[in-house]
Amino acid sequence: MAVDSRGGDGRVTEAAVRERLDRVTDPELDTSIVELEYIDEIRIDGDEVDVAMTLPTAWCSPAFAWMMTTDARDEVEALPDVDRARIDLREHMHEREINRGVNERLSFGEAFPDADGSVEPVRAELDEKARIARQHDATGALLDAGLDGGQIVALTRADLDLDLDGDDDARVWVRDGGLAVTVDADPLERYLEKAEATGLLDDDHPELFRTPEGEPIDPDQFETVRHRTRLAGVNMSGQGSVCDALHESRRAEDRPPLSMRSD
Amino acid sequence: MYEYEGEDVFVIDSHLHLWDATEENIVHEGGEQFIQCFYDYHTAFTPEEKQWSLEEYRKYGADRMKQDLFGNAAVDMGIFQPTYLTDFYDEGFNTAEQNAELAEEYPERFVLNGTFDPRDGEEGLEYLEELNDKYDLQGVKLYTAEWRGDSKGWRLDSEESFKFLEKCAELGIRNIHPHKGPTIRPLNRDAFDVADVDDAATSFPELNFVVEHVGLPRLDDFCWIAAQEPNVYGGLAVAAPMAVHRPRKFGEIMGELLFWLGEDRLLFGSDYALWNPDWLVDVVMNAELTDEQRDEYGVELDLETKKKIMGENAAELYDIDIEAKKEEFESDDVTEEFGLADHYAGSSAAPADD
Repeated sequence: MAVDSRGGDGRVTEAAVRERLDRVTDPELDTSIVELEYIDEIRIDGDEVDVAMTLPTAWCSPAFAWMMTTDARDEVEALPDVDRARIDLREHMHEREINRGVNERLSFGEAFPDADGSVEPVRAELDEKARIARQHDATGALLDAGLDGGQIVALTRADLDLDLDGDDDARVWVRDGGLAVTVDADPLERYLEKAEATGLLDDDHPELFRTPEGEPIDPDQFETVRHRTRLAGVNMSGQGSVCDALHESRRAEDRPPLSMRSD
Repeated sequence: MYEYEGEDVFVIDSHLHLWDATEENIVHEGGEQFIQCFYDYHTAFTPEEKQWSLEEYRKYGADRMKQDLFGNAAVDMGIFQPTYLTDFYDEGFNTAEQNAELAEEYPERFVLNGTFDPRDGEEGLEYLEELNDKYDLQGVKLYTAEWRGDSKGWRLDSEESFKFLEKCAELGIRNIHPHKGPTIRPLNRDAFDVADVDDAATSFPELNFVVEHVGLPRLDDFCWIAAQEPNVYGGLAVAAPMAVHRPRKFGEIMGELLFWLGEDRLLFGSDYALWNPDWLVDVVMNAELTDEQRDEYGVELDLETKKKIMGENAAELYDIDIEAKKEEFESDDVTEEFGLADHYAGSSAAPADD
């Protein structure tokens, strides 16, 4: 639940900042950077906020680091009482370029003149993977609620009632609106967020759930698509385990210093 | 030979290196970053008491390698996979010639793979032929993310690459091992993208494509390609050591791999010296799926499956007759040196006494 961003008199609280940062995900893992413990420190001075963060590896893709730091900046600045957020990325091979770029509001291309591509296609690819993994959770919740594959593949956005009063449940209409089933709203909301981010709901098809390629699902393919969406989730959490293990070893006490020599 | 609950398991470690990352051999900052990144992976997935120091890790030499593979009989045979990186390392990081030091001393114990880089053009084709003449290659290890001058990588499905794959087919080099997996600093993440395996595998059905590191962090793309291409295999280097600290995650990944590829297309590899088979083989042999994972995937990671993954599948690809090898290893040089005769004497190859 959202925390009130105002401490009563226009004061910014750490809880409010943390709540905004919790919306930022590591794009490769589709997990909140707060949950992943990337945030080292939050300092609030009037309407200015400083956020220090460290990623699992010093050589984490600059594009990923860029996405997380710019998202963190924008989320914190979305608080009505924050005038300016400043990010301090630590222990990264490109911390200088990234901190300068993010805090001086440069584009990725300006911050990294040598980069061979922009951040947007990378973000789109990872959003798509997150959409697929989240579809697994959403369709799993619908199966648990008693829907069958044929009903699930036919659902459209209009069949979902998410804003029920004071309730964490959603209502899903099946059989041409003749029957409503109650489901946990969270996996559906999480799915919709990425379905929207990937533009899936703006295309010519009304169907809510899709194949990994973005096409409506033939009822015969439902099982295969379920397996593919499961795989997308296992891939993300598997990569999460790798990052997590690297994170621990990098922070070990007797670790030799990272080579930062620049040519 | 590794023994598991009274049964012999013939282990072919399908991913080995004999590398040199000493400071004298490094000629580019990337070389230092590369070995440090390897060391991050090493410490992240090695039990604390088994971790090496960075100095040991830079260059360990043939004697130590021999000891680590055969000293406690964890491994019976190994396949060398070269990684040239000649822009970073003066003499190369781990070339076929460097690996040959050990492979030629014990030819019965090792398979020596070569390599190619399509950016080398005609000269590259000649080098591939030369390696083949010298070592009678059965496989090549490919590093699509390798830097070469201004180039930060190449694609397996490019026209130039196809010329080399044609040459492999012509020379009878059947096993193609592209590294498609974790990003290694400072190499470009996208150059490790597994997507280019698809077209190559379709275009060369007579070749086998062993995708090293099963595409992680693109396991999903890898499994989907492998599900459609019967000549695509998965090399478990990097996935295997997850069994140490993250056994549940390892089970899940194995569940997916067995579900999509089946038990005949997965090959164990330690990635030595990234990890050391003298403990890793034991960890993988003792790994299990949870009941929940068995139900979810409908697969088993039982002894029969493990025997395939640990050796039989690689034997199939590299024409290794395991029973004949067991007999041969009752008295070869490695067995003499490490006192392994007992491990092979009681092997199932010998008829029972009574």
